[in-house]
Amino acid sequence: MDVVLRHLSAFTDGIVTTLELTALSFLGALLIGVVVAAMRVSPVAALRGVGTVYVETFQNTPLLVLLVLFVFGLPEVGVIFPLFTTAVIVIALYEAAYIAEAVRSGINTVSIGQAEAARALGLTFGQSLRLVILPQALRGVVQPIGNIFIALTMNTSLAAAVGVVELTSAANRVNLMEAQPIPVFVGAGIGYMLICATAGIVTGMIERKVAIVR
Amino acid sequence: MSGFPLRRPRSGASSRRLRTAVPAVLAALSLSVLAACSSDSSSDAVPGGKPAGEDVAKKAEGAPDAAILPGSTMAKIKERGYLIVGGSQDAPLWSQLNPISGKTDGFDAEMGRLLAKYIIGKPEVKIVSSATETREALLQNGTVDVVFQTYTITPKRAEQVAFAGPYYSSGQAILTKKGASGIKTPADLNGKTVIAGANTPAIAAIKQVAPDAKVVTFGSDPECVTALRQGRGDAYVQDQALLVADVKQNPDTTVVGEPFTSDPYGIGLKKDDAAFKTFVNDWLRKIGQDGSWQTVWKQTLGTVVEGNPPTPPAIGGVPGS
Repeated sequence: MDVVLRHLSAFTDGIVTTLELTALSFLGALLIGVVVAAMRVSPVAALRGVGTVYVETFQNTPLLVLLVLFVFGLPEVGVIFPLFTTAVIVIALYEAAYIAEAVRSGINTVSIGQAEAARALGLTFGQSLRLVILPQALRGVVQPIGNIFIALTMNTSLAAAVGVVELTSAANRVNLMEAQPIPVFVGAGIGYMLICATAGIVTGMIERKVAIVR
Repeated sequence: MSGFPLRRPRSGASSRRLRTAVPAVLAALSLSVLAACSSDSSSDAVPGGKPAGEDVAKKAEGAPDAAILPGSTMAKIKERGYLIVGGSQDAPLWSQLNPISGKTDGFDAEMGRLLAKYIIGKPEVKIVSSATETREALLQNGTVDVVFQTYTITPKRAEQVAFAGPYYSSGQAILTKKGASGIKTPADLNGKTVIAGANTPAIAAIKQVAPDAKVVTFGSDPECVTALRQGRGDAYVQDQALLVADVKQNPDTTVVGEPFTSDPYGIGLKKDDAAFKTFVNDWLRKIGQDGSWQTVWKQTLGTVVEGNPPTPPAIGGVPGS
């Protein structure tokens, strides 16, 4: 493992980029995902349609295809973002589809009485969603969203294919010099494991704190 | 869709129709988008797709029986009936799958068939796509017999695997957009954004000649060229032979100056198999003398690089080989 130690700074830089990529795109995915979930349960048919199209598009396209399309396709129509920004946008858009479905399943677990009571009180759709349904729904889907976070962390490695020097790309570059793939990639794997194990522990803590006992 | 009572329930039939129709429409849409995108970036006619030339491997001679030592790697390959080559299917001029003929064309691919013919008596190879990340591991654990993959010999790599050869000497050169001023010599790359293929010797070469250059890497040669043309970098550093082929397909680009490094390409072999290394080196000397090496060069790299075939490099002439 001394290969990893000798190139520790390359690995650290890679992990930092991976963490930035993960954090920013997860935040984006969370925001977009909740909005899309709200669209999918809204009383307006057009909004439901847009939500459905969104989820079906991003869930049924491989992330790598999306990354390549955004990185090499958009400049063809005159839109060019820095590579890191492009990667954050694409991963956020992609993972938002999964978050939306998780949140929607959470909404479905909220008992019908809650929604009926909200309506009986005279709350509008937006109010009952914001004040009654979503807070309960989100507390019920901490674990699934934690799993999506872990999957998202792994998926950031695909950004290596489009020039973002994150952990996988850093490992590739070290290996190119050292020609020792097994220790180098075991080292990178441990990096991902640390991130995801931490995420798992944090998820468990949050879940115990916010879980609703029904 | 059901279970949330804030909106009126709908009939199940229409929602089912929507669920099947939407993915179908999307699939059709994304397919057409992909087709539109790929038509200009990927090649119409990739050079190195060898025209009706003579098949060198078919005519080449096999090894004398005495050279196939009993119990050796050569004997095992001969008994198996085909040579397992670690290589690529997507490197123009070197090793690229021709979707029409189903054959892998290029310098490395033809070399692999020549070696197979020499060992087995027929040019039977199985190409295992060995990503540059895993070449050493594939050789060490015996998944492949040899690696033909523009594999630059370096002393560090030679600690992990053995190299026969070099069988080709190449060099990194610079590609820029035509009319882009400011880059005349490798040192001009300092402070610029330079594109390189992920896992290519270009990355180290750039760091050496221009330590202040920012290196951006993409997975394949066509992606790197597209990135250069879209302005994601000021220059693209790659093996000269590949760049010459790129210019043919993209006349808005140009190669600046001559190669500024010397990359000796070797044949990757399992470490500590001295008999096999000697055997492969003997074969390299033989094809250099009988003109097969030169014929392969003419049919592949020679289709884009001008002039007569170069002299094959001296076997064992570089550190690590």
